[in-house]
Amino acid sequence: MQRLISEKIRKGKDRHRAEVSKQTGFPSAATHYYEPPIDLNNELVYNQDSTFFVRVEGSNWSKFNIWDKDVLIIDRSIELKPDRMALIVKDGEFDIVQFSGESTQPEFLLWGVVTYVIHAVI
Amino acid sequence: MIAMVDCNSFYASCEQVFRPDLWGKPVVVLSNNDGCVIAANKEAKSLAHIPMFEPVFKIKDILVKNNVTFFSSNYTLYGEMSQRVMNILKTFSPMVEVYSIDEAFVELTGLNNINLSEYGQTIKEQIFKYTGLPVGVGIAPTKVLAKLANRIAKKEEIHQHVYVIDSEEKKRVALKKVKINDVWGIGRQHAQRLQERRVFTAFDFAYNVPLAWVRKEMTVVGERLWRELRGQSCIEFTTIPKSKKGIGTAKSFGKRLEDLDMIEEVCAYYISEVSEVMRAQGSCASYVQVFIHTNYHSKIDKRYSESCTVTLPIPTNNTFVLISEARKALHKIYKPGFRYKKVGVNLSGIIPQEYVQANLFEQPSKISNPVLMKVLDGINNKYGKATVASAITGTRKHEWELIKKHRSPYYTTQWQELLKISSKS
Repeated sequence: MQRLISEKIRKGKDRHRAEVSKQTGFPSAATHYYEPPIDLNNELVYNQDSTFFVRVEGSNWSKFNIWDKDVLIIDRSIELKPDRMALIVKDGEFDIVQFSGESTQPEFLLWGVVTYVIHAVI
Repeated sequence: MIAMVDCNSFYASCEQVFRPDLWGKPVVVLSNNDGCVIAANKEAKSLAHIPMFEPVFKIKDILVKNNVTFFSSNYTLYGEMSQRVMNILKTFSPMVEVYSIDEAFVELTGLNNINLSEYGQTIKEQIFKYTGLPVGVGIAPTKVLAKLANRIAKKEEIHQHVYVIDSEEKKRVALKKVKINDVWGIGRQHAQRLQERRVFTAFDFAYNVPLAWVRKEMTVVGERLWRELRGQSCIEFTTIPKSKKGIGTAKSFGKRLEDLDMIEEVCAYYISEVSEVMRAQGSCASYVQVFIHTNYHSKIDKRYSESCTVTLPIPTNNTFVLISEARKALHKIYKPGFRYKKVGVNLSGIIPQEYVQANLFEQPSKISNPVLMKVLDGINNKYGKATVASAITGTRKHEWELIKKHRSPYYTTQWQELLKISSKS
């Protein structure tokens, strides 16, 4: 028996109900159109159990558009494919690389794949 | 078949996930108040002369000399990492029994036509990939055998941390490998008595001791163990947590306290903690016990310890009622002139809140005020622990709190304490 492993685990969504006007008792015109507001945890985190947030210090990774104080969302369950960015460990230290897919790349230990970069602009 | 999955040197491993500079190096974790070593990884254990449960001040030199990194315990981190592991396990089977912070039984019955050894490897690899935590997996027909298989998986390197007992022959081999005092559920006293009867291994116990003797000398608990070792499953899966019979907390102060005021604050704080747990499981306590003591080991300080138990007029889980009762108890036992090390509280005589009986003079709902408690818990759940609290808990927590000098960041629960990465160049 083969166990299916999908990359994204979908979560159940909250049910939202429209409030009824207390004074008139009339239901809102939007009653059947209500949706829960956007929850970034649902959108940016594919798999909560393998996701970690990491803070960047310094601008050494500016070539990847990653700047000082940015927060990286790292998902350890995602496969490292060419062009994906990854948090890796080399000689006991963290580094960020863009994976080329070629075997000529120096050896490293994969810590997790970068899925999003959160950059504050204020 | 049942799998027993446990994390290898869990506390140390949690620390190492976020510290690649410590991979392959000795790491130990200290108890509350940085008192003694409570966990060590493989590398630290191989140094052999690091005694567990030894006071830190006695062995600090050894730790420093051997470049052992030590951490204060960070239960917030360990608890969160544990949750991840358990969640991942739940994707492998609908029946997962969390046995402790770093161990769980996984029911695999019904998964036919799979290679159990490969399945165990998949579990191990996936947990490592997702969390960075190394685990061992033991698979066998019963819980006790699974625990035994797990032990072998850990001890013998060729199995790559996964060991399956799936035949009579393998079971016998496994039973012969494990000493009687290492069998799960056999305490030191029973082990000693069995050794006197020339029972040295799990095999001797299961096949050379008659059931009648076990039943007579070791009660039904021993009989279950005996049967489980022979391959007959009789310890059930419990996936619903049992309600607690008693709940308490006692932690040493960060420094010695003499002042009644300050001890009152700590006592009230602990009561708030335990009564919250009480409400979360929907029960009420009939008795409150408070105890205080000075440092037993001190040669300079005068020693004193005392406890007092109060019977509540009506069982309750109301924080404020419990605080005022505990305070009365504390006043009874407190004596000035001592340097106290610890205060502790215990709630016992626990009954479901629906069964609380009124007495002639008082209404349970009036005393327990469930509406107020619900609001209190609601606010604290949303805005964080002790956002709203009884005023007697005070604002001097930093003065009495445990010392955690070497705590690692709350990497996974606090936005301000995230793992930081920087590059040297």
